[in-house]
Amino acid sequence: MSDVVLPLLVAVPVLAAVAPLCLSLLSSETGWYVAAVTTAIEAGLAAVVLSSVYGGDRLVHAVGGYPAPYGIELVGDGLSAPIVALIAVVSLGVVGFAYTGGPRRNSFYSAYLLLVGGLMGVSVTGDLFNMFVFLEITGLATYALVAADRSGRSAVAALKYLLLGTMGASFFIIGVGYVFITTGTLNMIDLSERLAGSYATRPVLAAFGFVLVGLGLKAAIFPLHTWQPDAYTYASDTVTTFVSALVSTVAAYAIGRVILTVFTTSFLAAVPLARTAVVGFASVSVLAGGALAVVQTDVKRMFAYSSVSQFGLVVAAFALATPDSVLGGVVHLVGHGLMKGGLFAAAAILAATHGARTVDDYARLGYRSPVVAGVVAVLGIALVGVPPSIGFLGKYYIAVGAVRAGAWPLAAVVFFSTLLTLAYVARLLERLYFASPNAAPDRASGALADGGAATPTSGPTSAPAPSPSPPSDPDAADDTAPDEGDTRTVRGVSTGMVLLTVLAAVAVVALGFANAGFETLLDPFLGGALP
Amino acid sequence: MLAGSIPPFVPVLLAALVAAVAPRKIGHGLGFLSTAAVAVGSLLVPAGTYLTPRLFGFGTVLYQVDGFSRTMGIIFGLIGAAAVVYAYSSGAEGTQTAAALGYVGTSLGAVFAGDWLTLVFFWELMAVTSTLLVWHHGGRAVRAGFRYAVAHGIGGSLVLAAVVWQYAAAGSFLFGAAPGVVGPIAPALMAIGVGVNVGFIGLHTWLPDTYPSPHIAASVFLCVYTTKTGVYAMFRAFPEGHLWIAYMGGAMAVFGASMALLQEDMRRLLSYHIISQVGYMIAGVGIGTTLATAGAFGHIFNHILYKALLFMSVGVVIYRTGIEDITELGGLWRVMPVTFAAYLFGAAAISGVPGFNGFVSKGIIIAEAHKSVANVVIGPSSVPLGGEDLLWWLLIVGGVGTFMSFIKLGYYVFFHGPASVDPEDAKPGQAAPMLSVGALCLALGLFDGVLFEVLPNTAAIAEGYTTYTVPHVVESVALGVAGFAGFFALKGPLSRATWIPDVDRVLNPAVFFGGRALVRAVTESWAAVDRAVVAVASGATAVGADPRRYAFEGARRLPGFAVAAPTDGGVGEIDLRSSIGTGVFLVVLSLAVVLVVLFL
Repeated sequence: MSDVVLPLLVAVPVLAAVAPLCLSLLSSETGWYVAAVTTAIEAGLAAVVLSSVYGGDRLVHAVGGYPAPYGIELVGDGLSAPIVALIAVVSLGVVGFAYTGGPRRNSFYSAYLLLVGGLMGVSVTGDLFNMFVFLEITGLATYALVAADRSGRSAVAALKYLLLGTMGASFFIIGVGYVFITTGTLNMIDLSERLAGSYATRPVLAAFGFVLVGLGLKAAIFPLHTWQPDAYTYASDTVTTFVSALVSTVAAYAIGRVILTVFTTSFLAAVPLARTAVVGFASVSVLAGGALAVVQTDVKRMFAYSSVSQFGLVVAAFALATPDSVLGGVVHLVGHGLMKGGLFAAAAILAATHGARTVDDYARLGYRSPVVAGVVAVLGIALVGVPPSIGFLGKYYIAVGAVRAGAWPLAAVVFFSTLLTLAYVARLLERLYFASPNAAPDRASGALADGGAATPTSGPTSAPAPSPSPPSDPDAADDTAPDEGDTRTVRGVSTGMVLLTVLAAVAVVALGFANAGFETLLDPFLGGALP
Repeated sequence: MLAGSIPPFVPVLLAALVAAVAPRKIGHGLGFLSTAAVAVGSLLVPAGTYLTPRLFGFGTVLYQVDGFSRTMGIIFGLIGAAAVVYAYSSGAEGTQTAAALGYVGTSLGAVFAGDWLTLVFFWELMAVTSTLLVWHHGGRAVRAGFRYAVAHGIGGSLVLAAVVWQYAAAGSFLFGAAPGVVGPIAPALMAIGVGVNVGFIGLHTWLPDTYPSPHIAASVFLCVYTTKTGVYAMFRAFPEGHLWIAYMGGAMAVFGASMALLQEDMRRLLSYHIISQVGYMIAGVGIGTTLATAGAFGHIFNHILYKALLFMSVGVVIYRTGIEDITELGGLWRVMPVTFAAYLFGAAAISGVPGFNGFVSKGIIIAEAHKSVANVVIGPSSVPLGGEDLLWWLLIVGGVGTFMSFIKLGYYVFFHGPASVDPEDAKPGQAAPMLSVGALCLALGLFDGVLFEVLPNTAAIAEGYTTYTVPHVVESVALGVAGFAGFFALKGPLSRATWIPDVDRVLNPAVFFGGRALVRAVTESWAAVDRAVVAVASGATAVGADPRRYAFEGARRLPGFAVAAPTDGGVGEIDLRSSIGTGVFLVVLSLAVVLVVLFL
């Protein structure tokens, strides 16, 4: 009867999201406690799901007692369980991070819990339309959170995300409409059976294209990523930590779910162009995202483009759809969530303590904040794919899958992604530990230290140069204005926050030894096809 | 039994180690004892397979005794002992004799090997130790030794390749695993690789190049082991014989004798004669009948005796006079009677004068060429001297050449007017080994049954061959008469034809410049690869170290990119942030591309 945890996973945070609003009548600082309790419950529920699935179960719950294919099914299997666990762990961790780091407004936690519910819903639903609903909940909550910084830049970024994200969701629902017209069903398992035999028909092909582009936009695959760097960069640091670790992750999971469960590998076999197209798109994303990350000066923007690159890798792995590559995709999803969340959290702490926002600002921080800088170094190296780390594990499985499937271009792309990742991580490491002592910018330490005009000593690239670009470009115009105190920065830094980043780094390294665990977890889903 | 448990190379190599550090007398004494013990031990040890360790995971036989290796062991030990005594009397240093003993020991290791792996192991060591022996003399010997080392390095590598191929074909290194070397390529590789050692025509240049250059005692060692071990290996590789090898042997017999006729350096003349004599052995191995093989091994045995004797006697002349050119010598028979006697024994033996051992073994091979080879028959058998095979003719002509060249050598050194110098005769320590070896040459010629006893296939010889028959003796006398007549008829032209070069005039520069071209080609192409890799790596490093500048410079050159000019000398900004409209456009464009691709 453990399948009852599935609806609880979704219902608990959605219902709890109402509580902070109501409690605002009493106090404006109660939201955090609601969120803390709720995410702790979520973590417990996720643990139940994970252990059941690890034991070989496939959890299925028919919502409201209506059986599939007419009712809505919630499913916990090898593909969704690790994502559920990741959402639970990261949302709990970010709540802990926000205790000191803020924001502490009740409305923030309503959106936060709504987002958790939406993410959980996408992860456990077994119904394609239901997935759209939860994607919308996720998207709306994310727009609100991005805008929660209350600065002009974040508002524009949220608006951009809103418009583009709505387009993506529309594409998704158009695609769902096509398959519904073709088959008359929305349940994923049922769809996979009814789609068989009509793979090459235009509605099904159109559905695949619309769904993939829609979800690819949500997952920020190049060139559909344009919303993402701004959203990550201009959202407050706490929100970026949360959003970067989970939102695109769940969208990428949705891509995997749609390809593997709805369209299935038979579709990919029947329409080889579909696989080629998705792998090609994803490969371009890997290379373009990596190249763009290399040339960034702003650390948050660099990490944002890094996500474009890494999600390209995950989507390519799902589209390749061999047992190894799918395993690698899931492992890399989980790993990327932990690594990128940890990196953004560490960047938030460094921004708060040293006002360091650009790569040049990081000069010699390895000696001034050894612990947090060490976390950045460990997570960065793990992101490159150096063993032992989960970053290595994911890339390794994807590369093995590509090699075993004879997909040499993809294997080469995995290799180049490693090189590109190394290029931008090495820039950070070089600044952190090997910059010449007089390169360290002379900044007052403090929460709001990033304000004011860039000092000439901080180097020519440390601050955005006055841009003569047309004033009609709102972003560029926004950038020319001197920062009047960076509202993104966390309110304060506690030992607990530092400890959380250290935990993330430890988890990333420890999970590097969990290859057998991941294989056990996903083996039933992959049909026992793992060697 | 003790002899069965200690491989012959062990005592000799131990003696070599001692000789390298011990005083001269002790080192030479031990060298003599060890080699003499090997000769006796080889005579006594029963046939069989001893010491079969697994080396590098392969089954090997370090010590195997049969009729063939026994013959080799006896003569190698015997002549080693004589050469050590000679070396001691000729003033060889302890370290030189240590190298020589190392050379003897490794040769013994090779001929007592029971498998190809052990054989090729000692084969390579032979090349190393003999090179050291040559180099020890310094001066001209260094360059010659280097050419020697290169030749044997190439030959040894070919043999090694053949051995590896043999293992792949037969599944074992053991001699017993297959009849000789089998497979499509391995026999050719083996023939050429061993051909370097035995001095196939074209591969022989190292031999007259090296053997005249070192110390006179070193030459005595060198003339014995390398080529004879080569003949032995040729037999192991082709126990059934091979016609091409037989004809190569015949050609070597003629070529070596002809080139010898043109030489004026004494040891160089003798060196060319090694090629000629080894040609007879190779012909015997190539004919491949039981009798021919036995004749080949008999010729090995005898040749080692008289060729060492000749090198010793010529060495004494050089030792006493310091002159190597025969035209500068003359009339020495009066002042060096012992040396002259020794030379006379050796020359008679090598020319095959009846009563000497060369007559016995050369006779077997020529008789077998007459009896068993009918491949390229010249003329009908009805006319006199018709109906004989080309091989027989080659061996006969080689015999005439041998007579002529030893008449020439003896004439110029010991007669040829009055003595221009007045040297002393051989020292007792030089005379003793010379005279005992000379006596042995005569004894084995007179009592050929004793020789047959130490040869393999004794029964076949006793049954199939009679040494002293009228045709054999007539044949030899005819050769001698032809040799005398030929030499004195051609003495003038021969002395004017000494300018005729050997192939090494072309081969050495070809190898040198070819090798240099090869090295240059390899290093230059490697350097090109290296330059390319370094350029890529340094380019990547430059871009990685300052990616923004490169991105900016790249974007500045592209149309349609909004770039801001650099401020105060720094890097400019590239505006990559797209507007919402651009974002929507990209999304729609992507969808269109995907749908077009899917609908295609």
